[in-house]
Amino acid sequence: MITHELIERIEGEAVLDFRTDKSGTVQEADIRFVHFRGMEAILEGRNALDALVIAPRVCGICGHSHLIAAVRMIENVYIDAGFSLSISPKAHAIREITLECELIQNHIKWLYLVMLHESGKLLGEEANVSLKALYVTSQINQLSALFSGQWPHSSYAIPGGVTCDPTHIEVMQALKILSEVEQFVAKEVLGCPLEKFELHLKSDSHRALEGDFSKLLHQFEKLNLLNTGKSHGRFLVLADNGGSLDNGERSVADVALVSEDSSHTFAHGGKTHAKNALYRGAFYEGGPLARALISERQGISSLYQKYGDCAMTRLSARIDEMVTLIVHVRSLLTSLDLSQPSFTPPSSILSISGSGVGIVEAPRGSLIHRAKIEKGKIVEYSIITPTQWNLGNGTASNLGVAQKAMIGAESIAKASLIFRTFDVCSVCTTH
Amino acid sequence: MPSKPAKVIWLQGITCNGNTHSFLNDPSLGALLESIEFIHHPILPCKKTLKELVKKLPKSDILIFEGAYRADFERAGVKMETLLVTLASKTKHIIALGSCASFGGIFKEASPEHISGILFDKESESGPLQTLRKKVITLSGCPIHPKWLSFVLDMIVQGKKITLDEYRRPKELYGYLVHNGCLRNEYFEWKVDSDHFGTKEGCLYYAQGCQGPFTHGSCNKILWNEVSSKTRAGTPCVGCTEPSYPRTELFSTKTYMSIPAEMPLGIPKRSYLALAGAAKSFHIKRLEGKLIDDNA
Repeated sequence: MITHELIERIEGEAVLDFRTDKSGTVQEADIRFVHFRGMEAILEGRNALDALVIAPRVCGICGHSHLIAAVRMIENVYIDAGFSLSISPKAHAIREITLECELIQNHIKWLYLVMLHESGKLLGEEANVSLKALYVTSQINQLSALFSGQWPHSSYAIPGGVTCDPTHIEVMQALKILSEVEQFVAKEVLGCPLEKFELHLKSDSHRALEGDFSKLLHQFEKLNLLNTGKSHGRFLVLADNGGSLDNGERSVADVALVSEDSSHTFAHGGKTHAKNALYRGAFYEGGPLARALISERQGISSLYQKYGDCAMTRLSARIDEMVTLIVHVRSLLTSLDLSQPSFTPPSSILSISGSGVGIVEAPRGSLIHRAKIEKGKIVEYSIITPTQWNLGNGTASNLGVAQKAMIGAESIAKASLIFRTFDVCSVCTTH
Repeated sequence: MPSKPAKVIWLQGITCNGNTHSFLNDPSLGALLESIEFIHHPILPCKKTLKELVKKLPKSDILIFEGAYRADFERAGVKMETLLVTLASKTKHIIALGSCASFGGIFKEASPEHISGILFDKESESGPLQTLRKKVITLSGCPIHPKWLSFVLDMIVQGKKITLDEYRRPKELYGYLVHNGCLRNEYFEWKVDSDHFGTKEGCLYYAQGCQGPFTHGSCNKILWNEVSSKTRAGTPCVGCTEPSYPRTELFSTKTYMSIPAEMPLGIPKRSYLALAGAAKSFHIKRLEGKLIDDNA
């Protein structure tokens, strides 16, 4: 039997085409994205710096990641063109702080607005607006805005640094907000202090904690989903000294091995706008689980060794990443040297011709912006988004990451919930 | 306060979800949700899923439309020319939320002849809801400030009259310019430009492309995320609330004989030149140095 399931309450919408057997077990699952905006074409022909305004509008929830990818891309075009560029450690650190804040708010929204809501619904629970989660995400976005001016859709990172020039007052405000966020995560999300969470993962005692995250795990347990959702065991992190992992075999990541496949899109007679992103010609998983395993974070590595890339490991990785990022934002804030320059002016963009690539670890995985620039003007722009890695649509013999994870699910409702563990975003996927 | 909460439908056209996420930043969302209820919302718990919504398009008190309009763009398999127009005819108030819904915005650029706002197409009032124009309130911005939407919802719920400008934007929000309340106003007054980005000093209007002096919006009155704004973070205003958005060359000022090509709103060029010449001749030391100098 074929069922077309509309997936809502993501960024945009997706359609899953399920083929099930008599018992309702999922045999095949095709993923389709039916909306397309043409962001690359909008960028082409413009001044390269305009990308700092246009690119964030790819996505309302991870627009800041697109800003940082665009600015890194332009900076690499300067280098490609033979110009030197100086970015102070302070400007670097401020960009990291705002980028990581975006990941933290994303992960909290995913937990409360998507996962707890959808798994609760399957168990017949009534959904309420999680005002406590929305309040804390508004606070994290406020922390970001102290430096970036606003969230969403800031354009404060520019080639050569950042536009802001913060004082100790902003840093103090940021630290106060961060303390509130830490308290929320410890008390409400984890049910233990931040620094104890990894130990709980290592000793496999995290399910016994009393926080909203373990509530989610209990719901998954009741639905008999904890150990489902296994995929290829291939992982990829392209930014920040990344790497790839193919069933335990570790390599240095190389962006030159990335390719896009559009053979199954509308343009070629298919039923989706989404292109597949491939590494070495194969589907690799990106995002929090990949980052935890590549950087060998102990708690998640230990869960992975015991249980593999199942739903429980994947859910835990996103929560563990949030904890790690909060700790990192604190260390960045406390070590900021405000006497350094915020911005070191580079040569005029109008004198720059060359090519560049900018890579960012965005909430859902590796984000790539590539462009060719002539005398400051964008002549070619190409974006590969994180969700293209995980939500790719392969064939029966070569399944995409989420596709493989859904096959064998006891029902289409359960398969759809497994789909959401990948943190689905339609607007990015097709852009 | 009316006893029954107002029924609200939040529908999306061609969008990035930026207005949805900006709205979620309102720290007083809880109080607002006591006076309205979402029949449909793309992210928040609501009465009907999109699939249920399109089966029988219900009446509502307020229709919020986020994103640009294209007649054949579909949600849950239903074209906008049916979905938006029917829901709009069955509601009392319509909010065009964000610059895409207001004027076409960034996403109009991909296909200018087919994509527009719901009432306006850039400056021209030629969108699909022309016949329902009196119901439409425009909230432009890329994205909107959450309080701009909360304010309008409160006013509607309380039955108060909202005074609108030529684009049907509430004057209480868009009567101001982004320039009003900018911390760099003194540099503007005395024509001291900013040497480069990343400093607290200087006005961004003269070289860095700031559109604050001719862009409507209360960004520097009702601060973003309660604490800041683009210009407070040293970023030029990109004019995101205007029908002309997005312009090009957003980080440099177009000049004519070294004078900004676009004047502050309503200021005749001749008057501006006379004033600028006088202001520039003063060389005010305090404004030429650093605002906070460690060695002072």
